Amino acid sequence: MNEEIDEYDIYHQDFTTVSEWEVFIARIEEILGEWRLAKSSIPKSAVEYTKKWITKTEEILFLGQKYTLSYHTLDFSRSSDDSEGSEEKPLMTHIHNGLWEATSSFMDDDDGSQFPVSNWFGLKRFLVLYPSFPLVDGSLIKLVMSSANIAFANVDCGVPFFVKIREHWQHTYLGFYEDNQYKISFDTIHLKRISNQCSHLSGLVSLFKSKIASPVALDAVVVSTKFSYELKDFEAFTWKKTTHSNEFLSIDGFDVKKLIELPFGSEKNPTSSVLLNAIWPKFRECTIVESSTFSDIDPLMAPTWTITLKMREKINCQLSDIIQKMMNLLEDNNLLMDTLGLSRSLGLVNPLHKITEAPITISKLVKAAIGQGRNTSEFKGPIADDLLMPLLYYIFPDAVEDDTFNYTEQLEVEFKQDSSEHKLCSYVKTSPEDGLVWRLSVTAARLYDAGGLAYLAHLWYEFAQELQYRWERRILVPGVAAGIPNARTCLLHQKLQLLNCCIKRALEGSSSFAGNSSEDEFFDCTDDEDGEEQPLWDRPAGRLNRLGEAMLKNGAPLFVPRTQDPAPKTEDQLEEDAELMVRLGDDAKASELRARMMSASLLSDMEAFKAANPGAELCDFVQWYSPRDWKPEGGGSLGDRMLLPGNPWVEAWSVARPVPASRQRRLFDETREAEQVLHFLRSRTVSGAAELLLPAILKAGAIKAIEEGVTSGTNSVGGVDQRRTYEIAARDLYEAEKEACRALCMRTVLGSSVEGKPLDSSGRARVLHATGGSLPAPVRKEFTLRVKDAVAPQVMRAALAADMTIVGAFTERIVCL
Amino acid sequence: MTGDVKWQKDAADQNFDYMFKLLIIGNSSVGKTSFLFRYADDSFTSAFVSTVGIDFKVKTVFRHDKRVKLQIWDTAGQERYRTITTAYYRGAMGFILMYDITNEESFNSVQDWVTQIKTYSWDNAQVILVGNKCDMEEERVVSAERGRQLAEQLGVEFYETSAKENINVKAVFERLVDIICDKMSESLDSEPAMLAGGARGQRLTEQPQGNNNPNCNC
Repeated sequence: MNEEIDEYDIYHQDFTTVSEWEVFIARIEEILGEWRLAKSSIPKSAVEYTKKWITKTEEILFLGQKYTLSYHTLDFSRSSDDSEGSEEKPLMTHIHNGLWEATSSFMDDDDGSQFPVSNWFGLKRFLVLYPSFPLVDGSLIKLVMSSANIAFANVDCGVPFFVKIREHWQHTYLGFYEDNQYKISFDTIHLKRISNQCSHLSGLVSLFKSKIASPVALDAVVVSTKFSYELKDFEAFTWKKTTHSNEFLSIDGFDVKKLIELPFGSEKNPTSSVLLNAIWPKFRECTIVESSTFSDIDPLMAPTWTITLKMREKINCQLSDIIQKMMNLLEDNNLLMDTLGLSRSLGLVNPLHKITEAPITISKLVKAAIGQGRNTSEFKGPIADDLLMPLLYYIFPDAVEDDTFNYTEQLEVEFKQDSSEHKLCSYVKTSPEDGLVWRLSVTAARLYDAGGLAYLAHLWYEFAQELQYRWERRILVPGVAAGIPNARTCLLHQKLQLLNCCIKRALEGSSSFAGNSSEDEFFDCTDDEDGEEQPLWDRPAGRLNRLGEAMLKNGAPLFVPRTQDPAPKTEDQLEEDAELMVRLGDDAKASELRARMMSASLLSDMEAFKAANPGAELCDFVQWYSPRDWKPEGGGSLGDRMLLPGNPWVEAWSVARPVPASRQRRLFDETREAEQVLHFLRSRTVSGAAELLLPAILKAGAIKAIEEGVTSGTNSVGGVDQRRTYEIAARDLYEAEKEACRALCMRTVLGSSVEGKPLDSSGRARVLHATGGSLPAPVRKEFTLRVKDAVAPQVMRAALAADMTIVGAFTERIVCL
Repeated sequence: MTGDVKWQKDAADQNFDYMFKLLIIGNSSVGKTSFLFRYADDSFTSAFVSTVGIDFKVKTVFRHDKRVKLQIWDTAGQERYRTITTAYYRGAMGFILMYDITNEESFNSVQDWVTQIKTYSWDNAQVILVGNKCDMEEERVVSAERGRQLAEQLGVEFYETSAKENINVKAVFERLVDIICDKMSESLDSEPAMLAGGARGQRLTEQPQGNNNPNCNC
């Protein structure tokens, strides 16, 4: 019968009864194994630690409750090749060294770790088991601790293990670490009230000694002490806020200078408290006495004084407030002109509606310029004329005689290569500093802050009207960098550059119509003897200059023609073009179609070339245009690539007629482009307008912050899209502004000293003077007690404030007989 | 400048996790189009029609279980096309800057092209210098050493390639994708909030680097 038992069943039947407790232990072991925390996996030679904590977490269920097991380690530079030679020490020694070194810091120092235990005990790596509920039940604590102990031993863990106990707000952790020689217990006591015995140094020293329970006499205990005094409401520390108001809106006192000054800093005193720490870094017990009846401790005698500033959690920063208000507009997808009820009259409601009709009203500036009276049917915006006019004159200073606010002649766009130290918001696209986009944006932000969306819309409306007027009268827009749209500048600036290109082109066009001289179009060809004999239709036209010594195949000199420049485009137009090309797909046919789309410029150049070089062949054109496709053999011939069948070059050449650039169809239709820019601006949604204005506002904010002494930029590189980039910039500015507020407070309180560093004697004198020569009772006392006994360093720390926390790390020898 | 970078999912095309836009630039007839066709179609023709303006091809590759769609733009190298092609530099995350090892002038122009990239592209765009036509050893005028030195001086990586003999073509693209991914993860590190954006914020370099061997054609 026995032979008939199926082996499969035996091996796959679970005969054990696994308790929940065992599962819990097994789970911890599994995680520790996964994280490779066995002693054998942890580097034992000295490594350089950075200050960055790396964390791993896993969740565990035990008795229906959730626990989070997390591993925390300081990142270290992996120069393992070099350190291989250095001496390997047991992990226990590293932990003891860390513990001893950490006694120079205090419990309320911050080492950037999520849990205080690393700072208390100088740990570079540790584990924490964190229950999701307050672990207060004594027997459960024992159960969890012994589970941790067993798991720790089973995997031979190389990292101290802590369990968070008691209420979550209490910083109480029980921890341990052991190897085959020693065991360290990390204990924490937290009492809501201070016990009498522990309220002073002598009591703590005897507690410490009783914990060590050394059978032999100990060395003298070494003590560090820090007494903290809260300094409140002292005259010398009062906060002087920078005033910011919207008083520029009042007509009487209107001052553009007040308008353009962006507010900065906190409205209220951002300091919540100033702590003076009197520190005795190191003394032997008995040198200073503090008992329940007597105290030697006099803060004025403390060797070191430091100041800690506590800032309010939330500081209202004025610049960030304004920026945040603008950022909030990004959510509003209504037409901006709807705010004024103007969408219909501007033809913006129906997208199919032509926008080319004359504007309903003319700009305020225009009227001022031509001295017209007030038209009753005219649009009346919410901003009073008395306020509006100076604003418009500020943005368009060339409209008025007064040249207080004229733009500088040369508007340069500064890129970040030029000013590497000004890294704040360097990833936001810029526009010339104090140029038109800049002034418009800052004005818009201030108006919106002061008067709401209607004010912003009104300004935008007048801005668009003024541009319309300038286009019609061919007056260049001031305060914009010269040239074709520069993709490194913000979109609004590019749009204005494009508009200026249109205005310039229109100006050139009208002047060449007026004086239709032949000088422009016909190259002076006195050297060309055949010129006279050529029939009129075959006379060369539109020559720019000779191409070196190059000759046509027919022996005539080769002339470079005047050509049309490619149409200037803004980044959104280029994106549209690219999308169109992408949508065609990537097969051969689409590729051909693209070549055709792209050949407008090629055809125009060929026609100009033919006009400038009568009788020229394609190989002559190629000699100029694509010299590597030209072979000198036989007076010039085409390279292999140009001889391929279905060649767009050959095709374009065959249809090209000799037409000089001046008589060709324009590659750039300035009227259409200008109307498009104007329509683009008028038809923005609220969020669209905010998107156009934000780059310059953020940049102006960054410059303001730098003026206010912010030096540190962040390493941000901007986001994946425009919105995200704005959010990152706004956040960076907020941090900068907060930091600046903090720095200002520091300066007020600390003078030239640095927070957390010992005050110099003049600093001490200042503080003492401000407090009136005496200090109040300390709000917090901290003691660090340490001694090296025969086993290892033993450390205890006590922090006494309203409540009391005592932590200790005690090492004992594991006795194996 | 960073607002233009496209690596988000395209709603219309769900067949990839990321999209990178790459550009191949360099003097006329150094072999840009051949190089692209070798990579995208694994084909070689001794002569392609000289590119008019700009064209592109698409290739999807896998990197750490992620589908990366490469939109590779091929540009005309002629001087007259500079204005048109540089307009497309924006939004490109990587550049393959190519010269012809049999043509000194194309090598001498490399510095100019670098200036163009600096002027018109995104600041974090990654560049690889490529000396093409390395199969034509007997006509070589630019030594590999000079190429390497120039690359070092420019702070970019360097490969010699042959579209004809299919040497290092794949390696160049793969390396470029690697460099871009590393750069991306770096920026993500300094920008943890981006991780909240879901799939597109995932780290790409969690796994150990695969093959960095320049001579590997796998």
